[in-house]
Amino acid sequence: MMDLNYITEDLIKSVGQFLPETALIITFLVAMMADILFKRSKHLTGYIAMAGLVIAGFLLYHQTGVNFKGFANMLVIDAFGQFMKYIVLLSSLIIIIFSFYSDELHAAHSRLGEYYTLIIGMTFGMMLLVGSSNLIMIYLAIETMSISSYILAGYTKEVKRASEASLKYVIFGAVSSGIMVYGISIMFGLTGSLNLFDINQYLASHQVDHLPLLISGLLIVAGFGYKISAVPFHFWTPDVYEGAPITITAYLSVASKAAGFAVMLRFFKTTFFGADQLLDGTWHLLGSINWHYVVAALAILTMTLGNLVALWQSNMKRMLAYSSIAHAGYLLMAVSVMNDGGVSAVLIYFFFYMLMNLGAFFVVQLVSNKLHTEDIEAYSGLGYRSPLIGVALTIFLISLTGLPPTAGFIGKLYVFTSVIDAGYYWLAVVGVLNSVVSLYYYVKVIRNMYLRDIESKEDKLVFSPSAIVIVFVLAVPTLIFGMYFTPIVEWANFSMNIFIGN
Amino acid sequence: MTHDAVLLLSIIILLTPLLSFLINVFFGGKLGKISGIIGTSILGIDFVMAIVVAFTKLVTYPDIHTIQTRFEWISLGPIKVVIGYGIDNIAAMMLIVVTLISFLVHLFSTEYMSDDRRYPKFYAYLGLFTFSMLGIVIANNFLLMYMFWELVGISSYLLIGFWYEKNSASNAGKKAFITNRIGDLGFFTGIMILYMTYGTFMFDEVFAGISSGVMPFNSPTFLTLAGIGIFLGAMGKSAQWPLHVWLPDAMEGPTPVSALIHAATMVAAGVYLVAKVFAMFTADALTFIAAIGTITAFVSATIAITQVDFKKVLAYSTVSQLGFMIMSLGVGGYTNGFFHLVTHAWFKAALFLAAGSVIHAMHHAMHHMHDHHTDPQDINNMGGLRKTMPWTYRTFLFVTLALSGVPLTSGFLSKDGLLAGTLAYANLTGGWHWIIPVMGFAAAGMTAFYMFRLTIVAFHGEPKTKIASHTHENKSVILIPLIVLSVLSLWFFYSPTPIDGSKGWVHRLVVQPASAVPAAYQWSFLLPEHAGEASPAMHAEGEGHEAAATEELHHEAQPAAHATTHAYLNKFQEESHHFHYIAMFLSVLIAGGAIGLAFMIYQYKVISADKLEARLKFLHTFSLNKWYFDELYQATVIAGTVALSKMLSWFDTYIVDGLVNLSAYITRGFSFITGLFDNHVIDGAVNLIANTTGFVGARLRKVQTGHIQTYLVFVLVGLLVLLYYFSINF
Repeated sequence: MMDLNYITEDLIKSVGQFLPETALIITFLVAMMADILFKRSKHLTGYIAMAGLVIAGFLLYHQTGVNFKGFANMLVIDAFGQFMKYIVLLSSLIIIIFSFYSDELHAAHSRLGEYYTLIIGMTFGMMLLVGSSNLIMIYLAIETMSISSYILAGYTKEVKRASEASLKYVIFGAVSSGIMVYGISIMFGLTGSLNLFDINQYLASHQVDHLPLLISGLLIVAGFGYKISAVPFHFWTPDVYEGAPITITAYLSVASKAAGFAVMLRFFKTTFFGADQLLDGTWHLLGSINWHYVVAALAILTMTLGNLVALWQSNMKRMLAYSSIAHAGYLLMAVSVMNDGGVSAVLIYFFFYMLMNLGAFFVVQLVSNKLHTEDIEAYSGLGYRSPLIGVALTIFLISLTGLPPTAGFIGKLYVFTSVIDAGYYWLAVVGVLNSVVSLYYYVKVIRNMYLRDIESKEDKLVFSPSAIVIVFVLAVPTLIFGMYFTPIVEWANFSMNIFIGN
Repeated sequence: MTHDAVLLLSIIILLTPLLSFLINVFFGGKLGKISGIIGTSILGIDFVMAIVVAFTKLVTYPDIHTIQTRFEWISLGPIKVVIGYGIDNIAAMMLIVVTLISFLVHLFSTEYMSDDRRYPKFYAYLGLFTFSMLGIVIANNFLLMYMFWELVGISSYLLIGFWYEKNSASNAGKKAFITNRIGDLGFFTGIMILYMTYGTFMFDEVFAGISSGVMPFNSPTFLTLAGIGIFLGAMGKSAQWPLHVWLPDAMEGPTPVSALIHAATMVAAGVYLVAKVFAMFTADALTFIAAIGTITAFVSATIAITQVDFKKVLAYSTVSQLGFMIMSLGVGGYTNGFFHLVTHAWFKAALFLAAGSVIHAMHHAMHHMHDHHTDPQDINNMGGLRKTMPWTYRTFLFVTLALSGVPLTSGFLSKDGLLAGTLAYANLTGGWHWIIPVMGFAAAGMTAFYMFRLTIVAFHGEPKTKIASHTHENKSVILIPLIVLSVLSLWFFYSPTPIDGSKGWVHRLVVQPASAVPAAYQWSFLLPEHAGEASPAMHAEGEGHEAAATEELHHEAQPAAHATTHAYLNKFQEESHHFHYIAMFLSVLIAGGAIGLAFMIYQYKVISADKLEARLKFLHTFSLNKWYFDELYQATVIAGTVALSKMLSWFDTYIVDGLVNLSAYITRGFSFITGLFDNHVIDGAVNLIANTTGFVGARLRKVQTGHIQTYLVFVLVGLLVLLYYFSINF
């Protein structure tokens, strides 16, 4: 029986450290109250949510350089988590701004109070997930974020495909959670602990049976795989991405993946690798299971399937859904090398991926507002009908393909560098071939925008100036970071240390 | 202002013209005529900022060599690329030159280009060019320098070929671009030699590497080669012989462009580059540079004498003057060379703008008289413009005096110092090097002659055509730039005394950088006088060489009585001072004689130009045809390339194809048998590969049925497959 005083002390100390999360809880409550009290105001909850995210960001900034374990070692604070939390907060903020421009959301509901509140709830879940160092905590955090995201995916409930998407998402999520909990229970049975640090120590000092460990690890990874839509746990992705409001699609493709990748990296590093930090950035694998190959196999499956199926899509949202599966594959490549260089590549890639993917989705949303379709055919002549939006979408798509001089190229460059440095040439070859395939479906959109002769060319599309400004707030950095990327690389290198026991 | 403020302002100066480019390129269609006003105002602001930066650097921090910053651009494991930018004294002066001339050209063009239908595009290109040029000015490393160098190349290509409907204009653009590329190849090679050796692109780090005695590939020859390679880049941009052929053709561009690019800025970039990296040239590289400069100065001066196109005369004159600058740098006259760059920028820009003014007036007169056949640029169609265009004439005459090197002008100060330098050099090195001052003075004389020939034929006398008599003076937007630039060609801007440029602030601020090259490979007279014992560079490399170098140093060193009153940096400057009065006397004499000769031939017709032409038929034709360089290149380089490709084609057709045919013949027998196999299996395989991607994608898509039950089954099956696979493989 633990000393009660000790527990109280730990709680008090931990709460003092988990200020960004606390700020989000307060924002959640305030937004909910405001939604009930001020029924007239249309965007008030949205502004409150934005303010809460900004405050959380400031509080997060104050954690720079802190390494801390709290709540009985359930949650940790470290530089790696801080980077990923910034991505989560930033993309949540951007999504809230996108939502102000969403016609489909506003058509479905006159007020979006709950919507913004749920986004804060989901953000809170993701923040927890990024910092989780206990299997139960990981499970709870995934559930916290998932439940919000189920509701958000079906938020436009009058739209049939949205309700369908939401229902599929719930069922799929429930099964995935079940699989994961099964894996967790096996792990507990094997090692007698749910805490990653304790499991790590156990694995370091004991011989563990090969097959059960593999089964348990794979089942837990299936849970993460569902969040990051890795093949073969991706089936929900296209349907949900197509059915959900575009803002939520964009959100799921960036923020929830960021949280998924963060927890996956943390799980592997903390559980299966020795706590001794080697100077050259390589990690020391415990046990006999070569997790590199497990993740590399997932990476190859994921990017190949994502790219090949994306070739056939005629709906922009669905195409971007498969493209986001492919990008998860590239990221898994960097995860599979499991060393400091790989972590750094994941962070760099994610930052750029956030910019370009959110940008592309925002353009899709703006076009859909005007044309009421997401069909790729509808993009014909867009480059002439709205030159600025056309240029911006071209930048995003080029960047998603990974061509210079865009940020996407730099991200891929670092991912491939990390893979080659680790000696996995075959994996790099597969990755490059996949990039070639992806060129086809991204450029198809660009070709539609510029090279198709259509009659509506002169039929200009007028977007609000503020929307164009937002598009370029994402497009310009995508270009600039393609040329000057040292700050991001340095930030990622600073953030690549994952908290290790004691 | 603090250093940081200087740097911040410099980067704003750099980016402002880019803003002008972006505005005009994206919104030019809507802006129309306003684009000119926007471009001009932006450059005006840029100029004011440049003045602030330049004065801060030159007045507040004259003794800090470079105010600079550096940052890591790319870091990929062991490969690190550091770049940056900075302001030294010559960059500060160049900032003013570039922004002011660019501003005046912008202003001038509001009238000159007003009838052009691609008016906004013109301003966009001008903005891009100014941006690139400023980039060259503030770069403090080879990499950025090279990038902006190429940007200048592309924007100049766009501007030369601005009237691309004309075949000659688009050809001239291509010629300029390709000729420059040849030089750039050398530039790139030079940069790569240095980067491979010193692992950095930064000027100061490369110089430090050189002075520490590390040689590329352990050989001073490669340092010389790197220097010559970089100089090749300068030869391309600064139109040095034998790469000078593009500049006269580039006159196809609009005349304001000629003033901006082909008189004051882009062509000066080569000279600026040589000045910037002056510290890394070995004695051999400097000799090469001096020789090229001298040949250029002389050859193009001879060509300028017979040209009849107003702008072509000025173009060859520019090539010749650039030759002077390069020559001066080559002989070690760093300060004089750069001084001439600055003074030449003003008066040559003025000359070109005046030419623009004349051509504009001729065009208007032609338009008025419905004449579309007369060549408005042929000086034999002009004459008498003095009366119809008095202000253009006055400014033109004054800057002609400056270019001819007549006292009381800036041109006199700089050219005089420059020629004194060549005399000093010849005296210090002796031997065939005396050719350099001889050819230099000859070219200076020819300069005065052809400029006055141009002035007299175009402006004096009676109008030779009706058009010339119908010309009118242009609007003040055109005249103001002329007047501003002429005024800047007065001596007192540069020196308190009209006879000695070395008394002025230019010589005080543009101090020759200490050579980084170890003493053994450098002219002894370019090394600091008293640094014999102190310089670490001299100790770092070969003792044997050092002894020889020191001996040479003593051999040349003569006890100079006034050495105590003048703080000479090195032997060369001391010697230049000795020759100052001789050079001044000679150059005034030669210029005066040449001007007199021009008046006798063209104004008073004492000597008949035609008879002279007939008597010197051979020389005249040779000069008129520009020494047949274009024909020579046509016959050698171009014909050579064509011949080579023809030869390869022949080789392909007969040898390669023959072999192929032979083997095909042999194979044919076999192939008949394998034909069936081919048709059914190989083709099938090719098609299979071609379609696999799409096919697999299409199949995989089928998996996405939309039924959640199916999905879940697939997930579980997938999991089991993975489990099975990994459990038997590990």
